[in-house]
Amino acid sequence: MTLPLLSTEELGLRIEKRTLLKNLSISLNQGTFVAVTGPSGSGKTTLLRTLAGALTPAEGKVISNLDSNKSLAMIFQDLQLADGATAINNVLGGSLGRHSFLSTMFRFPAKERKEAYHLLAKFKLSGKTNQWTSTLSRGERQRVAACRTLLTKPHLLLADEPVSSLDPILAVEVLSHLKSSILSRNGCLVCSLHNDEQVAQFADIAIILDATEPNGWKLESLKENIK
Amino acid sequence: MKTELPWHSKFDLLGVTFILFILGSFSSLLAIEGSGRDLDYMGNLLRFTGQFFPPDWSIIDRTVEGLLETVQIALVSTLLAIIISIILSICAAGTIAPFWLLWPTRMLLNMIRTIPSLLWALLAVVIVGSNPLAGVIALTFYSVGYLAKFFSETFEAANTDAQKALRSLGASPLQAFQFGLWPNARPIIWSHCLWMLEYNVRSASIIGYVGAGGIGLHLKLYAESADSWNKFSLVLLCILFIVTILDLTGEKIRKSIRDKLDGKPSRT
Repeated sequence: MTLPLLSTEELGLRIEKRTLLKNLSISLNQGTFVAVTGPSGSGKTTLLRTLAGALTPAEGKVISNLDSNKSLAMIFQDLQLADGATAINNVLGGSLGRHSFLSTMFRFPAKERKEAYHLLAKFKLSGKTNQWTSTLSRGERQRVAACRTLLTKPHLLLADEPVSSLDPILAVEVLSHLKSSILSRNGCLVCSLHNDEQVAQFADIAIILDATEPNGWKLESLKENIK
Repeated sequence: MKTELPWHSKFDLLGVTFILFILGSFSSLLAIEGSGRDLDYMGNLLRFTGQFFPPDWSIIDRTVEGLLETVQIALVSTLLAIIISIILSICAAGTIAPFWLLWPTRMLLNMIRTIPSLLWALLAVVIVGSNPLAGVIALTFYSVGYLAKFFSETFEAANTDAQKALRSLGASPLQAFQFGLWPNARPIIWSHCLWMLEYNVRSASIIGYVGAGGIGLHLKLYAESADSWNKFSLVLLCILFIVTILDLTGEKIRKSIRDKLDGKPSRT
């Protein structure tokens, strides 16, 4: 059996003085879609950011088996796009880790530009590639942020409510793009979602958090073949 | 239940500084004195301004030539100032530069700003002689004092979210600056540059007074020969014309930049 990409041991999360979560032990295995659900304030974003390494856990630990060939990337809830840059340049930002400063200073390599256009087209943004992101709608910006993160070609994708501003049909399309591109390289997708239908349709495993009881989280297996 | 605010709630920073300002200006009023002589103020004013009219259009060719030189001085000095300011402003931005670089740079900029443009012009004329080059040197130094401060404040105020996001997605610090912070700061920096250009056209009109090239030299000549106030007024009219045009176009460009950043779609 291959090692999980990331696992947690007795993980506990705290914000300020409030304990959000206790004793969470999970493994993020290759080829799985993990949904994180729960009411607002139950710690979904904190959990994702802790998994990403941006926050230190209050208790327990996060064990990573990722390396330079197997990378992690996150789609942020607040998107964090450069407003004064075009949609395409924001997306290309995702490729910066593969290139030196000088090789991207004036122009991105043709291969990356082609791929960025391709991604934007897949997310139904081909008409907006050269618009400043400040002039795009919230839903469009959300898709630009998703494209940027996908261009880093991550093995473990942590997506914090990536479809919260999209209509249900588009949301399903975006989720299936995210799922297929991560699973095609046998990665793992962790996605916080509010919509139960989407969870049922896409997720293999659901982590259900409780807003009042830190020990009240549940793990639910949604597909028969995944243990 | 009493819902009114306590009486002293009006004395916040804004209220207190406003009261201090009013007190200060009224007490200063006592210190301002005239010459004490019995002068015909209104008559003096009318006699003097009467000499301005009608403007003497016979010198329009020479004036336009002088104005062109003024605008050229402003353009070159603004370009040089922008280049120097971008480097200095990164050193003066609290969010980018380390502490040991920050304060010396800020002190340097304070020193540059302390010297008025006319003094820079005098200095430059002493060093390179009486010519437009002196004007370029003077205005470059003068503008750097302001532009570098504006730029560094823009960098400090710009949204750094994208910069941090790119770092976490694998970009190097320089790349994150170029693609995360610079796009957010660039529109505001450009609008500062346009303002500086306008300002420099105005400044370039006066530094000729001490021999640093441009239209100022004409102003000086006409002011010194007692009967040329009608020529003087024509020069003023021409400066007004050019400054107004710059002001209007600058404002239009700045507004469209602001709209675009605020997310209003452009009409073009």
